[in-house]
Amino acid sequence: MSRREDILQKAFAIPQMPMPVQKVLAYIGNPEADLRQLARIIEYDPGLTVNVLRMANSSFFGTGGKVTSVREALMRLGLNRVYQLVIASGVAPMTRYEIKGYGLRPGELLEHSVAVATASETLAKELGRVAPPHTFTAGLLVNIGKTVMGSFLEVDAIPILALAHERHISFEQAEEEILGINHAELGAILLERWSIPIPIVNVVRYRLRPDDCPEPDLALDLVHVGDVIAKMTGIGMGIDGMQYTPSEAVFARLDISPEQMEAVMEAILEQIAEVREILIESTL
Amino acid sequence: MEIIVSISDMKVTNRAKDVLVTHALGSCLGLAAYDPLAGVAGLIHCLLPLARENKSPAKNPFMYVNIGVPQMMRALFGRGATRENLILKAAGCGRMMHISNQFDTGANNFAALKKLLQVNEMRLAAEDVGGTIPRTMRVYAETGRVVVSSCGRSWDL
Repeated sequence: MSRREDILQKAFAIPQMPMPVQKVLAYIGNPEADLRQLARIIEYDPGLTVNVLRMANSSFFGTGGKVTSVREALMRLGLNRVYQLVIASGVAPMTRYEIKGYGLRPGELLEHSVAVATASETLAKELGRVAPPHTFTAGLLVNIGKTVMGSFLEVDAIPILALAHERHISFEQAEEEILGINHAELGAILLERWSIPIPIVNVVRYRLRPDDCPEPDLALDLVHVGDVIAKMTGIGMGIDGMQYTPSEAVFARLDISPEQMEAVMEAILEQIAEVREILIESTL
Repeated sequence: MEIIVSISDMKVTNRAKDVLVTHALGSCLGLAAYDPLAGVAGLIHCLLPLARENKSPAKNPFMYVNIGVPQMMRALFGRGATRENLILKAAGCGRMMHISNQFDTGANNFAALKKLLQVNEMRLAAEDVGGTIPRTMRVYAETGRVVVSSCGRSWDL
């Protein structure tokens, strides 16, 4: 069996998302979903309820005013936002572990993921664009493959990094050379298996190489640059550091100025504290 | 005692037992300062080169090289350090692979520092900047020793 097949086989043994999350996702996928019924499903799970309320009351997601019931939160945030939040609640806890092989202490990868997600959305605001609804969640999930490789599969990233430095190639390219698969692709394959919506899976799959995506996608562009920004700020950075190549085509397509990029770097330092608290304290 | 300097943060100390440490230097600048005669050490972690004029006053001066570094100097002078005796060492200022110059915040951070030092007729005793590696930087207040570590290895600066 090749190393790639071995990795995929082990990754498929990882448990699915928590049951309440699966239930909510299945329900929202139903075209006749109504907010009252959805509120009841969420209220059945204390962890999800707390999360939804805290998101609705946060300054990052909220729209002002105190929200005290799930139904009110759904009205305020909208079905789409809640859908994204539920996915995030289901998968984010996986990024809380220590990722030993990649030099990340417990919580650091979650911190990095939150930085990518908030940077992607803040970048859209800075550019005067509307971020597609799945941008934040996709940003939060881009590192899921790293969790799987470094934590569940105990891959040691040191020889991968050594190869990348020696050959002056990007870290994900070195992962492919040594493991037969990179963490972005592994993450996308897993999320697809877990029935996460395809637009999210695509952002995860192509975020390191957006130029390979068959068609341009604003969410992918935002998350690609959001990831670059998070890496440069150093928040929750692993040993792979900045051994990645940003896409010039994406920077040109978004028409970003250095000042706009700096403004996002400034903003996320404050925002991540709030969003991280919400996700860290969720117990699902 | 180990004192953590977070992103956009600065600490000074004259307690010999203290170690100032900053983690996760990506494109950010880490600048360590030590005055052996006054026995005072400082460490700053700056995210960006310049505070933009249209956003004054800056909420957190330590976020920016151009106003944060002078503020650290003033804090050190306040504890007896002098410009002549200060030993300055820089680390960080890394970059993504093949990133275009205008988005190379690490290089811009370092350029802002060099300019500031030139104007004030000061110089760096040592530097470990650029590349793609993440860095942790430690300053030992007792001796002024500066240690940089990355990917499980450490070296003196």
